[in-house]
Amino acid sequence: MFERFTRRARAVVVQARDEADRLHQPRVGTEHLLLALLHDGQSLAATVLRDAGVRIDDLRSRVEQATGPGSRALDDADAAALREIGIDLAAVVARVEESFGPGALDDPPPAPRRWPWGRRYDGSRFSPRAKKVLELALREAVRLRHNHIGTEHILLGLLREGNGLAAVTLTRAGLDLVDLRRRVLDAVRTAARPAA
Amino acid sequence: MSSATELAAAAGSTDPRVGLRAVLALRRLLDRLERVQVDNARRQGWSWQEIADALEVSKQGVHKKHAGRPAVNGTREE
Repeated sequence: MFERFTRRARAVVVQARDEADRLHQPRVGTEHLLLALLHDGQSLAATVLRDAGVRIDDLRSRVEQATGPGSRALDDADAAALREIGIDLAAVVARVEESFGPGALDDPPPAPRRWPWGRRYDGSRFSPRAKKVLELALREAVRLRHNHIGTEHILLGLLREGNGLAAVTLTRAGLDLVDLRRRVLDAVRTAARPAA
Repeated sequence: MSSATELAAAAGSTDPRVGLRAVLALRRLLDRLERVQVDNARRQGWSWQEIADALEVSKQGVHKKHAGRPAVNGTREE
């Protein structure tokens, strides 16, 4: 599947893993793909996001907030749901971390696996949603009759997936996913048109 | 209305979305608590049989669920 990825798109996949490492998170999620898209400021996806008013530092702090220490394993929605039945998740986390150290309730890092095609792309680290986004990127490229998969297709995949932390974070930052999608498609069309 | 009453009302919410979401969150919490405690028991030298007895599950079940995972800060005898 990765043969058709442009150099920039491949770099995004690699960068997504680095973003997860940076946040000390074992899984590569849609939010890391989003941060990776913004990392390469020259890419079509980054240009569209920037034009739509997205700031990488703002987005990064939002992602860190949503996935910060203590809430890495269970997110805000879990905490709210537990509150509904009278369980204070923060108190539980605090008690466990007191005994077993910070991050004790976090998901453990995945067991290392050997991949026959080398270790450049460690698919096992990508969350099901992040994998879905890459699949959707491929589908978006096919739909647009593009032979390559670029950063813009990954962004379209993120927007189409719609439920990952990337989409949630964008929405929380006040962006409209439908409008963003339209912006990407406009940019793709403009980029395809020969310079007037 | 007291907060205890509110909580009781939420716990028995008739909206399936609220109730089921709480079940999901509880399961996520349970899975992680179980992992932490099983790791701790193994570090303290408990056998799989002892852990299984404490959890009231089969030894095979607990072994299958937890033995494949790299032990955290601990030794791995089996």
